[in-house]
Amino acid sequence: MESLPPILSLLTDDLLLHILSFLPSSSSDRKSFRSACRSFLRVDSLHRTNLKILRPEFLPSLLRKHTKLETLDLSVCPRIDDNTVTILLSRGVGSTEWTRGIKTLVLSRAVGLRWAGFECLVRGCPGLEAVDVSYCCGFGDREAAVLSGAVGLREVRMDKCLELSDVGLAKIAVGCGKMERLSLKWCLEITDLGIGLLCKKCPQLKHLDISFLKVASDSLQAIGTLQNLEVLVMAGCGLLDDDGLGFLGTGCPSLQVLDVSRCDKVSSFGLVYVIRGHSGLRQLYAGYCFFELSTTLLHRLKELTNLNRIRVDGAGVSESIFQIIGTNCKFLVEIGLSKCKGVTDKGLIELVSGCPNMKILNLTCCDSITDAAVSAVAESCRSLLSLKVESCNLVTEKSLHCLGSSSLLLEDLDLTDCSGVNDAGLQYLSKCSELLCLKLGLCTNISVKGLSYIASNCTKIRELDLYRCTGIGNDEVAALSSGCKKLKKLNLSYCNEVTDRGLQYLSQVKELSDLELRGLVNITGVGLTALAAGCKRLSELDLKHCENINDSGFWSLAYYSWNLQQINLSHCGISDVGLCMLMGNLTRLQDAKLVNLRNVSVQGYELALRACCVRLKKVKLLASLGFLLSPEILDALRARGCRIRWD
Amino acid sequence: MDLKETPKKVPPDHQSFNNFNLQQYQQKWEEEDSSIQDYNMNIEQSQFPEFNQRSEANPNNQTKIPEWDPKAMLSNLSFLEQKIHQLQELVHLIVDRRGQGPSRADELVAQQQQLVTADLTSIIVQLISTAGSLLPSVKQTLSGNPSFGQLSGVVFPSGPNFNGNGNKVSDQSNHVDLKTEQNWTEEHESKDEEDGDEGENLPPGSYEILQLEKEEILAPHTHFCTICGKGFKRDANLRMHMRGHGDEYKTAAALAKPNKESSSEPMLIKRYSCPYAGCKRNKDHKKFQPLKTILCVKNHYKRTHCDKSYTCSRCNTKKFSVIADLKTHEKHCGRDKWLCSCGTTFSRKDKLFGHIALFQGHTPAIPLDETKGLLVGPSDKMETDEIANAVGFAGVNFGSNISNGTGVQNVGDVKRSVDDDSASFFSPLSFDSSNLGGFQEFPRPPFDDSDTSFSYLLSGSFNYARKNGGECGSNDLE
Repeated sequence: MESLPPILSLLTDDLLLHILSFLPSSSSDRKSFRSACRSFLRVDSLHRTNLKILRPEFLPSLLRKHTKLETLDLSVCPRIDDNTVTILLSRGVGSTEWTRGIKTLVLSRAVGLRWAGFECLVRGCPGLEAVDVSYCCGFGDREAAVLSGAVGLREVRMDKCLELSDVGLAKIAVGCGKMERLSLKWCLEITDLGIGLLCKKCPQLKHLDISFLKVASDSLQAIGTLQNLEVLVMAGCGLLDDDGLGFLGTGCPSLQVLDVSRCDKVSSFGLVYVIRGHSGLRQLYAGYCFFELSTTLLHRLKELTNLNRIRVDGAGVSESIFQIIGTNCKFLVEIGLSKCKGVTDKGLIELVSGCPNMKILNLTCCDSITDAAVSAVAESCRSLLSLKVESCNLVTEKSLHCLGSSSLLLEDLDLTDCSGVNDAGLQYLSKCSELLCLKLGLCTNISVKGLSYIASNCTKIRELDLYRCTGIGNDEVAALSSGCKKLKKLNLSYCNEVTDRGLQYLSQVKELSDLELRGLVNITGVGLTALAAGCKRLSELDLKHCENINDSGFWSLAYYSWNLQQINLSHCGISDVGLCMLMGNLTRLQDAKLVNLRNVSVQGYELALRACCVRLKKVKLLASLGFLLSPEILDALRARGCRIRWD
Repeated sequence: MDLKETPKKVPPDHQSFNNFNLQQYQQKWEEEDSSIQDYNMNIEQSQFPEFNQRSEANPNNQTKIPEWDPKAMLSNLSFLEQKIHQLQELVHLIVDRRGQGPSRADELVAQQQQLVTADLTSIIVQLISTAGSLLPSVKQTLSGNPSFGQLSGVVFPSGPNFNGNGNKVSDQSNHVDLKTEQNWTEEHESKDEEDGDEGENLPPGSYEILQLEKEEILAPHTHFCTICGKGFKRDANLRMHMRGHGDEYKTAAALAKPNKESSSEPMLIKRYSCPYAGCKRNKDHKKFQPLKTILCVKNHYKRTHCDKSYTCSRCNTKKFSVIADLKTHEKHCGRDKWLCSCGTTFSRKDKLFGHIALFQGHTPAIPLDETKGLLVGPSDKMETDEIANAVGFAGVNFGSNISNGTGVQNVGDVKRSVDDDSASFFSPLSFDSSNLGGFQEFPRPPFDDSDTSFSYLLSGSFNYARKNGGECGSNDLE
């Protein structure tokens, strides 16, 4: 303290805190702030309320320093299991101080946790209000019973908890009567009985997701009694029919958002029932429900004057829908017409002229629309944020010209498979300087000329998809690397011109975390070494069919890429030693695809899996290996909740 | 409690409860046996004098044909046919007897004649009522026809002593009321459901309330042999027993079911009160709900006011006071896999969920013990192995950690944790940083000698990884 620089002695903690409050909570700026000096770090940790931990090693010390924590996210932290949790919570009183304020626990994909661990957490965190245990495949009734001890729970996500049955749900429903938000997506064991009981015991439910459950109208009858329900998501419930929706029409007085996408048995009539009872509906998602939008439904849509968002993906539409929506739904912000038959220029022009607030427009596979429609969209909807025109082959540079001149707020543009996109188009598009996500997959007519405009002007781009853009080579990659420094996600799969030199350029993009390099046969260990050394944040890497990378490349990957979470090495030439090195050293690795490694022996697989079995959550292997690997290793993997996918 | 205090309301017509009880019970049993399937059997028996057959046959017809039904009519006709055959046989019998001459004692002959006459009457009554029921319009008037009562009344005095139980039968005519059809069917249904009469809503006063004493209710036997005193639950068993006491009990008349009489004057419906003061089924209760039959009284009293002395031999937890309940339970015991936190078990999931929905705070119970063992077993084993290894390697790993300055802020913690005996938490770390340790985590020897070059490489990577520690420290959180 005595040797503090003068400037810091002027900055009191209060002032520092004030400064800190101007930094967005999830940005690299915060990181820069706390890396500046010890006192900044101290202030940051003392007032930090949310923490997402990537490595278990630092868990105890971090938790001890952050005493004001409200949210703890362990979803990407490997090796969270009962023992870890027990030890974290069973220390002296001083070090468990962090649990006092905890309101939210994100334990998604914490596959190693079982009831004993949950019991510790529930007992240790008395103020728990929200828990996310989605994709914990081992989360079953026993765990649910323990979780139900947290009586203050208001929000629980249990997506794809495959072991959870009605009994577990009943436990939670009875124990946590204050529940407001609950997601049961993919919990395939849940039946009408469970939902019925839930609705009876948790009358305060506001948000309920029962997507893909095998429930029928009995459930909807029970759900209809929920007075406070605002959001009901039931995508892919194949047993729900129009009769069930009838119950919704007469019940759920607060309903605002309804998702019936992919409910095969639901027809337009069912939706008519719902709309009749809920003219205040704000969001309606009915994609892939029916072949044709019936006229009765269309006329009912008139009543939905507050409608914000509507998706009717996959349905056959007539021009009258655009007229009806355009004249009645003035507040429409989003419309999804992906794969709809019958979307025409005329219809779209009519629609957008009535909906000036439109921000999100999905026209994927509406292949009859032309530049005229896109121009009208650009001119009418000045605040357009997202436009998807994948596979709209009639879209040319003219469209991009209009977008570039009118839609200056555009953040998300999907031009995948639009063969009309060329360098000139990209030049026009580069005026959309707010672009965050650009998809140009299968656009074979683009080259360094167009991409350099994008690279130099759209510097905010975070995600770029150049899948199978055969015109892309090292020069293009060089242009991107120099311009788009914020790039986090990049897909260069099957851009065969890219060689080691391209990867060397790419290594300058320090933020890069998700990279797909499938089928790049011209890259070798040299390129991979450069990439690994440069892009330290790399967390997902796909090297499938990169057959010329030798062990030296994988060694450097093992050496540098400590943040790798997911890796796909299928069809690579990695050796036994390389694989073992990689799997042993990459301590954050949780998902590995290891199919058809021609140079790896069974023993190599065995050793590699032994090296990483405590942290792997998912692994994909060739089915024939199932008989060759020792049962011990398979049991060890499964005991930790690791899912093995046999290819 | 105060059993003696409960006022015993003795209806003027009845001489004793005991008799009444016996009669009713016996009747009850007989009626239970009678069903449409038993119909033919009854017909066969009907060559013996049985007055109650009329009330058996008739309700069946009546319930079967609310309106004109050709099928029922056909069966009625065949019934008539049979009856006429029986009648013929009886007449033949009389003719034969006359032909035999007075070979036997006069008294016996007189008795037999009486018997035959009674039988004749019975068959004729049945003929009339069945024939009447062929026409729906006629049926109503016939069933309510008081002349039938008169008819049986005329016949009855001739047949009282067949059971050899004179005093019992003598007052039958006063006790057994002419039951209405509706009453009969109800009684038939409510075999075991004492709550079945909730919806009955008989206006008070429209029925007669009878109350049995505790001892009567709990008496194991209701029929006693007048000769040896042996008790029986059923009159039929008693009659079978009586055969052993002499030939006079072997006659058809002695073995016949006792008659179900009807009195000339219309009687009140009977309902029963539980002798237990304060019970809802006690007639002094504010919301008194009467019990329908003696059997209901017995079951109610045992279930509600007696100890549950029958324990299920399978689960050793469930107890019952009525043996029939135990038998019903034993059929399902062990198959009730749906368990509530309150201890109640259900054979069906929906029943459990209905129960939980109804009661505050009840939750389904999870049968945990076996899953507990399965889940924790293997992983625990792994943990301990890991801990053992971690302890062995901890010093080395943490030493290298510190010397390389991995994660400045961690140094202190690491030291502390090593001092603590809870190094098991850091076992993951030690494993990560040392693959050597990791491989030895598995207690499988082959790895040690199979790949020496490999272990060399790994120890190389050990040092190699260490250099990176510092860099990673800054990436530890987002």
